[in-house]
Amino acid sequence: MAAEPDLSADTRRLNTKKQTLDDAYAAPANFLEIDVCNPETHGFGKKRYSDYEVRMRTNLPVFKLKESSVRRRYSDFEWLRTELERDSKIVVPPLPGKAWKRQLPFRGDDGIFEEDFIEERRQGLEAFVNRVAGHPLAQNERCLHMFLQEPVIDKNYVPGKVRNT
Amino acid sequence: MTHQLSPQEEQEKLLDEAMQVVKVQSFQMKRCLDKAKLMDGLKHASNMLSELRTSMLSPKSYYELYMAICDELRYLEQYLADEFQKGHKVADLYELVQYAGNIIPRLYLLVTVGVVYIKANDHNRKDILKDLVEMCRGVQHPLRGLFLRNYLLQCTRNSLPDCQEGEETQTGTVKDSIDFILLNFAEMNKLWVRMQHQGHSRDREKREKERLELRILVGTNLVRLSQLDTMVVDMYKKNVLPGVLEQTVSCRDYIAQEYLMECIIQVFPDEFHLQTLNSFLKACADLHKLVNVKNIIIALIDRLALFAHRDDGSGIPSDIKLFDIFSQQVSSVIQAREDMPTEDIVSLQVSLINLALKCYPDRVDYVDKVLETTVEIFNRLNLERLESSSAVCKELSRLLKIPVDNYNNLLTVLQLKHFAPLFEFFDYESRKIMAAYVINNALENSLYIPTQEQTDAVLTLVAPLVQDQNDQPQEEEDPEDFSEEQNMMGRFINLLISDDADQQYMILTTSRKHFGNGGNKRIKYTLPPLVFSAFQLAYRYRDIAEEDDKWEKKCQKIFTFCHQTIGALIKAELSELPLRLFLQGAVTAGEIGFDNHETVAYEFMSQAFSLYEDEISDSRAQLAAITLIIATFERMSCFGEENHEPLRTQCALAASKLLKKPDQCRGVSTCSHLFWSGRTVESEGKEIQDGKRVMECLKKSLRIANQCMDNSVQVQLFVEILNRYIYFYERGNDAVTVQVLNQLIEKIREDLPNLEGNEETEQINKHFQNTIEHLRMKQEAPESDGPAYDGLVL
Repeated sequence: MAAEPDLSADTRRLNTKKQTLDDAYAAPANFLEIDVCNPETHGFGKKRYSDYEVRMRTNLPVFKLKESSVRRRYSDFEWLRTELERDSKIVVPPLPGKAWKRQLPFRGDDGIFEEDFIEERRQGLEAFVNRVAGHPLAQNERCLHMFLQEPVIDKNYVPGKVRNT
Repeated sequence: MTHQLSPQEEQEKLLDEAMQVVKVQSFQMKRCLDKAKLMDGLKHASNMLSELRTSMLSPKSYYELYMAICDELRYLEQYLADEFQKGHKVADLYELVQYAGNIIPRLYLLVTVGVVYIKANDHNRKDILKDLVEMCRGVQHPLRGLFLRNYLLQCTRNSLPDCQEGEETQTGTVKDSIDFILLNFAEMNKLWVRMQHQGHSRDREKREKERLELRILVGTNLVRLSQLDTMVVDMYKKNVLPGVLEQTVSCRDYIAQEYLMECIIQVFPDEFHLQTLNSFLKACADLHKLVNVKNIIIALIDRLALFAHRDDGSGIPSDIKLFDIFSQQVSSVIQAREDMPTEDIVSLQVSLINLALKCYPDRVDYVDKVLETTVEIFNRLNLERLESSSAVCKELSRLLKIPVDNYNNLLTVLQLKHFAPLFEFFDYESRKIMAAYVINNALENSLYIPTQEQTDAVLTLVAPLVQDQNDQPQEEEDPEDFSEEQNMMGRFINLLISDDADQQYMILTTSRKHFGNGGNKRIKYTLPPLVFSAFQLAYRYRDIAEEDDKWEKKCQKIFTFCHQTIGALIKAELSELPLRLFLQGAVTAGEIGFDNHETVAYEFMSQAFSLYEDEISDSRAQLAAITLIIATFERMSCFGEENHEPLRTQCALAASKLLKKPDQCRGVSTCSHLFWSGRTVESEGKEIQDGKRVMECLKKSLRIANQCMDNSVQVQLFVEILNRYIYFYERGNDAVTVQVLNQLIEKIREDLPNLEGNEETEQINKHFQNTIEHLRMKQEAPESDGPAYDGLVL
């Protein structure tokens, strides 16, 4: 009988530790979900602005709170972006546009306070903040933590890294 | 502005694009293979498979794409199989496809080649299978991983080793197949459960729905296991089931658990289940709190109950204490799951009781055990007065109806000590409904209740139908429903029958106590049947007089019982009903003829008279009552002259005292019969035939008729009296002569034409003409023994 080709060489592999059942079925350890929702428009005339609820839920140990909710306006997002751009090494994604055209006078509609526009911007901001917060390097930045979890942003804070782990 | 695609349109578009690629690449692949360009063929196959790398498709679309690609891969598989037949090297190819750049195409190709390899030559089967199932770990994306492993399962379907230990070990045994499937199952279950964590938490429901659509992929593993012919029960018990249960319990995911437990029950044979009841049921206790454990256990019980009834006679092996195991395990499941709704707990008892009845029809104690457990649970939960609309109440009704329906024997139900205590948890309405259910069942099955104890037990059980309850609502219920319900109880009394007369008497006194408390509105339905039942019992004693020397005393007691029972009806301000019952009693006493019967009969008659005099005031009712008294009395022959005389005089007197003349007339003429066909002890059963007294009665009634002011009624009465004359004439009463007849006929002939022509007159005339016609016939063709009508003027 001719010798059969031995497959054991092809099927040989490293011994790995068996996964425990708890590990196999555990909920993911990097759960992070940020919703930008409930837009509201405040003030009149020149002081008129819209803000959004930024609601976050996570099980990442780096964050102090597992659930938080703050209100932020567009300029706060801009602030966050600037801080990250300056201090972190990541490529920060862009924000949705500033919609200059909508801010011109003599428009027939409500400009940047139109419902459609607010919804469009909300989606953009939500995508932005999820991408930023999902980045492991950004997660160390103090500015991100303040943006997501402090009721008021202290723009005179001392930039730096957070180590909660 | 560009048109925004709906999610569904988006899916269709994506799928369509992917399908296009599959079409092009598979075409290229086939073309290359046909030209024997294997390497190019594999490249196109790989391109095609790359479409499965997408994350954009919904599970449903991904499935469609997967199916299309699998179809095309079969061509490749066939080609490779042919090549191997021709002697091409296999091992090289197995290594070769591992150079494919992306893991998805790489693993699909590896599986395809591996299986072809096994089919061509099963020498390394065991190693290859192990290799493939391990390699698939490389894909950890839930959707992609699930489908890849499903592909593995599909391809290896007919190539798994399925032989016992000790045979060829190189090609593997059934044990290797088990390991292979169990590993694949564990991995697939992991991916499936992990899918739940993908995406935004607000889409949870959508994801759960998608996961349910994919469950069959995971379940296929269990199906494969069940298809291994050489897997014996021992392997299942030691290896397979523990493996499956370990994953199922550990995953702590209720969708997976609910599905997999059902799956286990459905795919594996009953013989296996019977040997692993304890471990399966123990696992049930450990499942996630959202899992509907009740349904799982019920599914298993139902299956095994069916198995026990299978025609092939295998049944439940005697060494498996099916009921005990379930009973114990179900109670630990209930204890382990504190938040289980009470109605679900009761549902479990429902299936336990079904199991007991189907598998052990003779074991009444098993059924009682279930009921006992239910009582204990209710007590522990401090339940009382379940609202009839509540789910628990409905389940409990279901539970209690099962033994009733199954045994169709109220006596067997009474053997269940814990049946009645469960009634106490119902509110009034449900208690009554259940009571009616029990009674109806007895009626439908014509089930006799033969002892005093059983009578007592039933009537206590169905108390809401027998007497007022503390918790019954204030408002009166619908009179029609009430009457129907009580008529049912009346019928039920006819089922309280013992073969033994003395026992029957005890049954009567016991039920009398229960029904006696029913209040005025109930006793008119329930006491009369009891009285009749007592009369019947008296006849029975007469029939067994020779065996029972105390029978006369007992009859006396029965009539005392009846007297007192009828008395209760009088107290309830009823009159005609007790009057009739007294008359019936008088007849019965007269017929039975026990010592002292005449006194009893006289007493009953005189009671009837008292009721007539004191209680009946409506003139029409009076006439009806006195007619009934006269008729009854006429049939009786138990009285001596000493008693007969006052009674008949009383009848005549009562008749002549009726308020309205026509009533008087009719009553008195009816009385005439008492003097003719009445019988006394002295006449020794013969009619007394006192012609003169008869004539006196009739003359008197004729006098009264003459006093009537209404001509029409008067003539009507004349015709009626004429008929009585004729009756007695034909019976040979000498006092009635042809002359008397002629006079009356002439009188009627005179008066009749003066009546107003209307329907009533028409009827009177008709009655008269018929009477004349009768006479004419008798005159023309006299019967030999009948009287002649000589001199009658027609």
